Order: sequence, then structure tokens, then C-alpha cells
Amino acid sequence: MILASVLLVLLAVLGAPLFAIIAASAMLGYQQQGIDLMAIAIEILGLAEMPFLSAIPLFTFAGYLLSESGAPQRLVRLTGAVIGWVPGGLALVALAACAFFTAFTGASGITIIALGAILYPALKHDGYPDDFNLGLVTSSGSLGLLFAPSLPLILYGVIAKVPIDDLFRAGILPGLLMLLMLSGWSLWVNRRNRTPAREFSLRQVRVALRESIWELPLPVVVLGGIYSGFFAVSEAAAVTALYVLIVEVAVLRDVKVSELPRIMRESMLLVGAILIILGVSLASTNYMIDAGVPQQLLGLVADLVSSQTSFLLLLLLFLLVLGAILDIFSAIVLVVPLILPIAAQYDVSQIHLGIVFLAAMQLGYLTPPVGLNLFIASYRFDKSILDVCRATFPFLVILLLSVIAITFWPQLSLMLVG
Amino acid sequence: MTGPQRATERWGTALENALLVLLLGAMIVLATAQIVLRIGFDRGLIWADELLKILVLWVALVGSVATSRGRRHLRIDLLSHYLPERYARLPVLIVDGFAAIVCGFVAWHSARYVLLTVEFGDTVLVGVPAWLVQGVLPVAFALMAYRFGLYWLKGLLDLFRRGPMGPPP
Repeated sequence: MILASVLLVLLAVLGAPLFAIIAASAMLGYQQQGIDLMAIAIEILGLAEMPFLSAIPLFTFAGYLLSESGAPQRLVRLTGAVIGWVPGGLALVALAACAFFTAFTGASGITIIALGAILYPALKHDGYPDDFNLGLVTSSGSLGLLFAPSLPLILYGVIAKVPIDDLFRAGILPGLLMLLMLSGWSLWVNRRNRTPAREFSLRQVRVALRESIWELPLPVVVLGGIYSGFFAVSEAAAVTALYVLIVEVAVLRDVKVSELPRIMRESMLLVGAILIILGVSLASTNYMIDAGVPQQLLGLVADLVSSQTSFLLLLLLFLLVLGAILDIFSAIVLVVPLILPIAAQYDVSQIHLGIVFLAAMQLGYLTPPVGLNLFIASYRFDKSILDVCRATFPFLVILLLSVIAITFWPQLSLMLVG
Repeated sequence: MTGPQRATERWGTALENALLVLLLGAMIVLATAQIVLRIGFDRGLIWADELLKILVLWVALVGSVATSRGRRHLRIDLLSHYLPERYARLPVLIVDGFAAIVCGFVAWHSARYVLLTVEFGDTVLVGVPAWLVQGVLPVAFALMAYRFGLYWLKGLLDLFRRGPMGPPP
């Protein structure tokens, strides 16, 4: 069994699809316990028993469709008109627009492609240093995943069986903290380049507002609907998908009908990749819980730490390592069921655990060896990975500080949860 | 690639796309219809929630089959980023073969399970035979096994033709 586990880890490092690794480990576990391997079918079919799961394909599709439309440009223009007059404003515009866009498109690297392509040249044009721009755009690509309705939040809610609207509330302040700290850093770095991106003009704001008139109701309806309890998260996702479809295809005609099958396919590739891992890990998780893995882990942890604070420290270190090798979706699906019972022993609320988990995994987008944003930015802006890493490093440090604050200040996450 | 291979490739992709468009479209229509019924008429279709969940299952599996085209499943992507193509050839061959075998196993055992539900006459929704819904599971994994198997075969041929570290094609 140990030999088989080592072999599976080796295969994973060689780049085997994670769902195959997980399926194999579940089947090996069944085999050992004398359970009929048919059980894996029953577990995967459990995908059809999970509440709210339809929110994931629907929000993902809406996000992909938005990113293919003119919405990114309109978002940048609107943010620019509203806060571009602040000295160093364009950097703030980039941060705010990216955070907003990432929340709506899931954290799949799409932000760097859709918004980075607009912001990177604009920043350069306004005289910001190249390294700063590269780092800013790369690290902004996953900023905002603590804001509703981001996919990782929904996935955590489904898996931990925590009310998703509670998570959406809990993410607000920690997400704002990250945004504020990065904004502060950006302003400080560019303290010599204090030229505002533009003068404030009410007319500009009005033009930008009119231009975005069709997309403006979206956050209001979605966030308002969810926070007020009027919509369940899956309903909000359906409304978003239908609304974005009508607006971008029929009203604004940013996207041609003939392009829809390609966009639908692209978005469902991500969904298929996430949900298949969820399906097979339903099997492996159940097997591990039957085999008492969480208890063994708890025993192990109990030897190391005794207080909540030291547990959180250990958790944070673990998550940072995890984030460096595993993508956020696989990490949530695989690891959350195992650490939930342990966190409960140390009185860490499931909601706070979720926010810490996602915040720490956000850093994983920026850490070598497999940080997704590093590769997307390197590819998109034609820079070497090493250059991107170096440029991103200061932002990574700032984000790490914010994650530390989020971890050891539970009230920040729990304040807004009723 | 030979002519027939290219044809299966084209038709396969078209079929995946058609299914994904259909499933996603049905999901959007069904979910919004449910909302309209709830808000406007204070009622809902009893089977709609179950059907929506079944659509999610199908999207997951069909989407996963589509994802296996071009090897786009989530993985720890170290080698392709840091190793030149020629050194990564052997590891890629190994993991493709591994994925094909695992998918084959899952397909086989889920086919056994689905056959069992046929025997028991299980139903879902309003009297629909369960195998109609669950049959997607063995089919999807069989298709993925086939896809990974093809990649493996191609890799193997490549290996023989160029040697494990020969120049890229």
C-alpha cells in the first residue's frame, strides 16, 4: 500500500491527470478493504446529489462570455473615470477592475488575458516602471477570489456544507484588506510618479456609465439577490447566465451567435476538469474517512500544537506549501474534507477556515513551481518565467502579509456574518 | 494523422460541442423557468430540481471527455514548463498510459453498476429508467480511456521512431 501511494505521488509529479490519481487511490483503497469496485460509480454519480452545484457551470459560462465581450474595456473605462483622478490612479484602477472581474469570472487566469492585455500597455504608457506593471497585472489576476460570486467560494461552500451566502459575506472584508494593502503598496512605489491618470470629469463618468448601462445591473441583481436571500446561489447563477447571454449577444452584439458554441465549449472544459475531480474525490474522501484518516491526522496535529493560534500557524504553513503545488480547485476538493474535523477540534469556524484556505491558496497562483498566473503572464506578455517571478515577488510579500492578518484575525471574516 | 483519424476527430469534437451546448442551454432555460414559476406563480416543477442536478452530472462528464482532448485536465504541470519537449516524452507516455488504464477500470466497474440498476429496474425523475441517466458514466470514462490510449499509442510510436530523447518532430 505504501509502495502504491509513493507510485501515485510520483505519477502525479510526472503530470498525470489528478482525477486519474484520485480515482486510482480510491479503487486501491476499496480493493484493500474488500469493497466492490462498483462503489466508485455510486460515488461519482453522487455529483447529481449535491446542492447548488449548477451554479458552477452557469457562473463559469457567464464569466467566459463576459470576457469575450467588450465588458473588460467598459469596466476599465468606468473604473478609470471614477477613480482615475487619484494620484497613481491607474494602478488603483487596475487593482479594482481586476478584483471585480475575477469575482465574476472565477479564478481561472482569465483576468490576466482579458484585462491584463488592456491594462499592461496602458500602465506602460502612463510611465509606470515595467517590473511594477508586470507584477501588478500578474498578481491582480487572482485578486478578488474572496468576493462573491467567485467559483472557489461556491465550491468550498458545497464541500464544507456551509451556507454560501455566509461565505460571500465573510469574504468581503478580507478581500478588501488585500485590495487596500496592494493599493497602498502601489501608491508608495509610485510616490514619485504622482500624475493622475486623468482629470476628474463628471461628463466622463456619465459617458462611461451610459456605456456600461447594460452591465451595471448585473452586480446589483446578483449580489443584491444573494445577500438579501431573494436568490439561492444557483438561481443567481442562472439569472446571470441568461442575462449576460441576452445582453452581450442580442442587445450589444459584442459576441456573435456563431461564436457561442466555442465559448460554451471553452467554459465547460474548465467545469468538466473541476467537477470530474470533485466526482472521483467523493469516492476517495469517503474511503479515507472510513479508514479514519482524519483521526490519524488529528492525532498527528495534536502532538505538534495545542492552541488555536499554533494550529492556525501550522495550517497556514501547510496551505502555502499546498498552494505551491496544487491548483485551488483540486486543493479545495481534496483537502477540505480532511481538515474540517481537525479545525473543529481547535474551535476554528468553518467559515473562517474557508476564507483562510482560499486566501492562502490565492498565493499559490503566484508561487513557483506551478503558479498558474506566472505562466499565463509569461506567455501573454512574452517574458521569461524568472522575470515574472521577480516582478511579482513584492506583491507576493504584501499578499502574504494580508493572508497572515486574515488568518490570525478571525473577526475580520466573521464580523459581517449574521 | 490519416484521413479517417481526422474525420473522427472532427465529428467527435462537433458531437461534444453539440452536447455541451444542448446541456448548458437546457440548464439555463430550466433554472430560469424554475425561478419565474417560483416568483410569479409561487410554484415549481417537482422534477425540475432533480433534472437540473442530472444535467450537472452530464455536463461534468461530457465536459471531462472534451477536456481530455488536448490533455487539458488539471494536473501538477511541472515537466511541460521546465523540461524541453524531448525530455518530457517518456514521462508523458507513462502518464497517458496510466490515465488510460484508470479510466478503463472506472468505465468497466461503472458499466457493471449500471447493468445492475437495469436488473433492479431503478428509476429516476418520473419513471425514467435510471440507466438512461447513469449510462453516461461508463461511456464517458470509456471515451477518455480511448482518448488517453490513443495519446499513449502515438507517444509510443514517436518513441520508437525518434528514440526517447531524439529531436522533436
